[in-house]
This record gives sequence, structure tokens and C-alpha cells, in this order.
Amino acid sequence: MTIYNVTIANRDNAVYEVDARRPLLDSLRDQGVDLPYGCKYGGCITCAAKLTDGQVDQRRQVALNNRQIANGYVILCVARATSDITLEIGVESHGQLYRNPFLDPLKPHELKADLATPKDH
Amino acid sequence: MECCGPGYASPAEAIKAPREKLLYTIAIYTGTGIQKPDYLATVDVDPESPTYSQVIHRLEMPGIGDELHHMGWNACSSCFDDGSMSRKYLILPGVRSNNLHIVDTATDPRAPRLHKVIDGAEIKSKTDLSGPHTVHCLGSEIIISFLGDAKGEAPGGYLHLNKDFEIVGRWENSMGDIKFGYDFWYQPRHNVMVSSEWAAPNTFMPGFDLEEVGHLKYGRELHFWDFEKREPIESMYLGEDGLIPLEVKFHHDPDSTHGFCGAALSSNVIHWWKDDAGKWQWEKIIDVENEPHPEWPIPVPGVMSAILVSMDDKYLYLNNWLHGDMRQYDISDPHNPKLTGQVWMGGLLGKAPEVNGVKMAGGPQMFQLSLDGRRLYVTTSLFSTWDNQFYPEIREQGGVMVMIDCDPENGGMTLNPDFIVNFGNEPGGPARCHEMRYPGGDCTSDIWL
Repeated sequence: MTIYNVTIANRDNAVYEVDARRPLLDSLRDQGVDLPYGCKYGGCITCAAKLTDGQVDQRRQVALNNRQIANGYVILCVARATSDITLEIGVESHGQLYRNPFLDPLKPHELKADLATPKDH
Repeated sequence: MECCGPGYASPAEAIKAPREKLLYTIAIYTGTGIQKPDYLATVDVDPESPTYSQVIHRLEMPGIGDELHHMGWNACSSCFDDGSMSRKYLILPGVRSNNLHIVDTATDPRAPRLHKVIDGAEIKSKTDLSGPHTVHCLGSEIIISFLGDAKGEAPGGYLHLNKDFEIVGRWENSMGDIKFGYDFWYQPRHNVMVSSEWAAPNTFMPGFDLEEVGHLKYGRELHFWDFEKREPIESMYLGEDGLIPLEVKFHHDPDSTHGFCGAALSSNVIHWWKDDAGKWQWEKIIDVENEPHPEWPIPVPGVMSAILVSMDDKYLYLNNWLHGDMRQYDISDPHNPKLTGQVWMGGLLGKAPEVNGVKMAGGPQMFQLSLDGRRLYVTTSLFSTWDNQFYPEIREQGGVMVMIDCDPENGGMTLNPDFIVNFGNEPGGPARCHEMRYPGGDCTSDIWL
């Protein structure tokens, strides 16, 4: 079993060990970390957290657009650690997650993966 | 007619019902940053009561993360002739969790209690549905629109429950070419159901990306169903006039073929009816203009997320969630509505930042009208992720419920100065309120056979 360390930056840098095969939401909640969640299939964004260091596999998520991914957001209910990682969790980490869509439109490469076009160079 | 079932013999009888004394609304913590379950709040709306205009009971759901949103009764006036039925249970779907909460409101109407939970995972595995929205009873049984399949992809379908809240299966025989689901209403004497379109759960749940409208990820059609055959037979393409067609309402008069839909992003009211040749027709009857805003590069759309028809079919009420106004139109001639009332509360245009001493976050959103048409209760939160985009201050301030006095004789609306429920002061922290129901039935629950 592959184990990685998850550091929660905005919880006094508490460190938890997680199984690389399990979604981070399940592993962390099992260890008593209080995390928001909703759909549990990667579609609703409620459990989003900000990854500030390390890598995850979140290929199953369908909630984030490419700008949110570029800003470091990960969907904990489907994301799995592929290295030691550092997260900011909860609504305090959601500063860049929500934006007024009329004031701050997405560029074509910033849409969700199924709609995005490659960035112009 | 000898009878003792739920509801009323006719809309005219419903109007004469006693005044509502209690009102239920859902209140959410999902998406707010507060790690607590969503709940059903009982609000005292009896002006003679010492706890008038206060939350007097809170029924927490068993889990967190449901996002309660809309709700519906187990039975309505469509069972008026069935003495074995009663309007006892309120069904509260969780849009995100897929759980259906069956709440007993009859044993103690002031303090509803949880009767049963239908697990969201069971619904997914048995019917491949997720993202529940509108609940209508169907005689003694129940159908609920779901906006997605088990993976959150459109168009979803309809869950059929029996009166004991057991899963019968999918209600519809076919979704035809329907791309999206949302609201629906049926008119049995004409064997018709009309359904509307929001988007796939995976599209709308994370928030609103305007660009996805252009990529056809949001709806712009209405669908007419053969209600007995349970399949769609005709679709109306509304185009730019009907972007994101949400709430659909028929006249309460069961003989009428007239109905209405609010197209949220276009901020238009669409009217449909069956013509003399038996053909369904539609037209745009209300067009709310976008409004300039000093800080916006483009004018602000109204975002008409809900509509309601008074029990006498004389008035149509609508909201403009981003502008901040509630409107009343006389629809005595449904082809030619006349604006007869308007009230400002919150919104982005700064017309009414405070109501009855409470600072508003959000704009008029869901509303429920008393059966006699004189009291309109209005709440301010739309959906957690969309709230967070347009009104981020709602996190700290919570939602608000206000009451508007309506004049059904002459038209007109005024904010009631004595009633306000500030969900920002809830004991568990700022909560957000959305849909409302009265124990005796209301203007969006009952259908006559």
C-alpha cells in the first residue's frame, strides 16, 4: 500500500497519512478532518480544496473549469494523492473558486475540459 | 360531493381556506462554510401569535451536504375525492446528495419530524438518476424530476414513488430528444405535461459559467408531453427569447390550456396555450430589459428564476434576482399582461439595500403566495454556488424572508413593515432560505383532475 503525507496548511500544518488508492475526502474524514462535501462523485464543487504543493490524480472530476484547475483547486471526493501534498481546506480556501461570470469572463482555454480550446500562442 | 381527501374541491374553494399560520422553508448550510446539516424551518406567520415573524422550529437533516432546495407534498387537491389520502408528508430532496427526506408535518405541524429517508445511492443504483428538483403528487403517487443520470449528465428523467415512498422506477416511458430537465407541471383534463430545461447537474452545481450558455450547456426549449403515454410529443425552441427556461405553471383552472414559463437568463415570460385548431402555441409576453450598472461592462440581466400564478389565475408574480425587484402583472388577458405592482428588495442595482432594518444580501428569489392572494412571502437565496458568485456577502449575512402585501382587487404590492425573518441570525450561523410551503397547500402545489 502506498502512503503519502497530507499537510493541511490552514489547520496548523496538521499532517495525515493517506492511502494513494482512496479519495482524499474519505481518508481525511476517517481521520477526523471536518470537510464540506455534497455529491461525492466529482460533479458539484462543494468539497473543493486548494492544492499548494504536490500532485493529485483528479481525472474523475467534472466540476472544475480550467481556470479553477490552474488556480490549484482539487475536488477531494474523487482526487487521490500521487505524492506528498499540502492543502488549504474549507471555504477559507475558496477565494478564487467563485467569480462573477459577467464581470470576469473565462477565456476559451479556461472553460471546462470538454469545451476548452487550446491556448493561443 | 361527499369527500374527505386532501386539499380543496376547486381553486375557488382553495381561495376561501383559512389564513396560513405556519410556513415551512428549507434553510441550507451546504456551500456556506458552516459544517452543519441543512434543515426545515417552521416560521410563525400568525400575526396574533407572540412568536410572529420568527423561526419556531428547526428539523435538521441526518447528514450534511444535501443542499435542500425545492420540496413538495405527498398529496394535493388531485386526491380530494380519496378519503384514504391526506396531506401529511413533505418531500425534501437534496440536490447534491440525491437523498429524499420524507417529513411528517401532520403529527405536530409546528415541529415536523423525519419519517423516512430514501438513500440517494439507492435511487442512483435502481433508476440511474441524480439531481432531484420538482416534486408533484400524481393522484396518490409521486413523481420527481431529476436533472441528471447517476453521473450527473443530462437529461435525467422522472422518479416514480408510490404512496408508501417506495421506488417504483422511472416514471417516463421515453425522454425523446429532450436535452435537459428542470421543472414540470401537468393539466390532466388536457392530457398534457410541460417540462423545462436548466442544465446537467455537472454543469450548474459547480456554479454558472456564462460561456457555457453559448456552448449549449444550458437549456432553451419547452417540452409538451402526452401525460398518459408518459412521453414527450412536441418541443418548442425558444431561442434567445427563452434562455434557461425554468419555472413552468399552468393556470390553476383545470379546464384552461394557458400556462407560463420564466426564462431566467433572457428574463422573459413565455406564454403557451392551445389554439382553436388544437395546436400548442407560444409567445413572449413580458421582456424585462437588462439594466446598466456602473461597474459592469454589460447591462445586468434580471435573472427571472421563478414565477407564480395566483389561485384566481388573475396575477402572475415574477422576480428579478440580480435587479432586486418583485413584480405583479395582471394576466386577465394572458396575451396582454399589465404591470400592476413592483417592490424592491436587495439586488445589485442598489435600489433597496436594506429592508425593515435588515441589510440585504441577495435579491428576491423564491416566493409563495397565500391562497387568498394577499400575502406574498419572498426569500433571497438561489443556490449555494450561484449565491457565492453573485452575492458573496451572503456567507456572512445569510438569507432573509420578507412579506409583501398584495391587493388582489385593484392590483398593487407593498412591503409589509412588520414582518421579516433574518436567517443571518440563526443559532447555527448564517443560513440561507429558499422554497416555502404552507401546511394547507399553497399556490404552487395543487393540481385539479
